[in-house]
Amino acid sequence: MLRITRRVGERIILGDNVIIEVTEIKGQSVRIGIEAPRSLPIYREEIWLDVKRENEAAARSAGEKLPDVSAQLKRTGQ
Amino acid sequence: MSLTIESSRFGRVEIDPETVVEFPDGLIGLGGSRYALLANDADSPFLWLHSIEDPTLALPVTNPHRFFSDFKVELTDDDGERLGLDDVTAVAVYVTVCASNVLDDFTVNLKAPILIWSGSGHQVINQAPGCELRARLFADAGREPEPAC
Repeated sequence: MLRITRRVGERIILGDNVIIEVTEIKGQSVRIGIEAPRSLPIYREEIWLDVKRENEAAARSAGEKLPDVSAQLKRTGQ
Repeated sequence: MSLTIESSRFGRVEIDPETVVEFPDGLIGLGGSRYALLANDADSPFLWLHSIEDPTLALPVTNPHRFFSDFKVELTDDDGERLGLDDVTAVAVYVTVCASNVLDDFTVNLKAPILIWSGSGHQVINQAPGCELRARLFADAGREPEPAC
């Protein structure tokens, strides 16, 4: 991993159109501003990882057949 | 032009072009850019989001409104702007299903629903409070119903 030291207000440019700026440092927290093309989704890593794991679990969870749940849907009025 | 996939689950499947969904950003962490929404059983609440590029990749999905009456999706302003949903009225919402041998253990991911409109799909992070990553689909009679969003 590339490691770069920056001060508050200094920026890093990725390619020609992604800008990352350190905007504030408070104790153990660093506030970061990101300017990126609108089409680029941006995630907090822990949320991205959670969703990736859930997607993988869903893809692994079932073979070709899913159970008939019509009785459960009726029972609970769903 | 007809489209056929050799699914590892379902064998040879003829894909109706109407069911193809383009995911410009893929599914989160899984990628892929083209999936088909397969309804193998018209009576079942479960559908399959089947990759067209990877014959082994398919996720069961369902309409969350069928199970969680107060479910809603809230996006960050950035996501709302990125997806340009303001002018879109007909958005289909699905959530991924994690199946299990026991119905009570079926869960759905209310935190990252999949929005589909005009043949285009996006998996988004739901900002509505209380949306769980693993919400039980069939809260049984003895248990309090799961709070949805």
